[in-house]
Amino acid sequence: MAASNSENDSKNEIPSSSEAEQPQFQAIRMPTMEEIRAQEVWNNCAVRSVVSGVMGGGLGFFMGMFLGALDNPIMQDEMTGRQQFVYNVKQMGRRSLSSAKAFAVMGLVFSAVECVVEKARAKHDTTNTVVAGCVTGGTMSARGGPKAACAGCAGFAAFSVLIEKFFDRHT
Amino acid sequence: MAANNTPAGINKEQAFGMAETEMEYRVELFNRLTQTCFNKCVDKRYKESELNMGENTCIDRCVSKYWQVNGIIGQMLNAGGQPPM
Repeated sequence: MAASNSENDSKNEIPSSSEAEQPQFQAIRMPTMEEIRAQEVWNNCAVRSVVSGVMGGGLGFFMGMFLGALDNPIMQDEMTGRQQFVYNVKQMGRRSLSSAKAFAVMGLVFSAVECVVEKARAKHDTTNTVVAGCVTGGTMSARGGPKAACAGCAGFAAFSVLIEKFFDRHT
Repeated sequence: MAANNTPAGINKEQAFGMAETEMEYRVELFNRLTQTCFNKCVDKRYKESELNMGENTCIDRCVSKYWQVNGIIGQMLNAGGQPPM
């Protein structure tokens, strides 16, 4: 998804001439063996999907913690301040873990499917993103039956295409 | 074309000529290979300066196929003196 574009940019050595006004050109360098090997490692589907899963887990953890902190206890009048605090902490922990798991699975599945599809087609397209988004959305909402799976597939595919276009325009 | 060890009878000029022909052949092969696979695999819009994964895969496969075809045709030309018409 956006991971493929951002990692390409992080290894992208933009020469200063492309941004500055003065014509200071740098010589063309062939990639060293370390750069080639690093690229080979990053092109591996397993590595990419695991890294995406970890990043998704981190994101989900913080989001769940934030949302859990906003949760108010049911019996607010009867609890003391300390009890409310303990309840809040427990809620934060529970929600952050469940959210981290969900987001980690989402990131892993999306990245793995996109990597495999792109390697099979040998093309860099939005079709890869659409297929990966559909599979991810479908597996995540597969519990609700086939209709929910179709809706999840379409919704997540559209969402991931939008995110990809957004990131493409801003790099 | 692939003359590895020249026997002692061939003089220097002939060896140089063969080496020159071989070099030209190699250079032509390399240039054509890079041009073909670049035109086929790399998107011309140049959205970023690094090769992404799809292009990498495409180039790997293109070079492998080109090399195989080159080998097969080289063998066919070497084996048969006349074209199989």
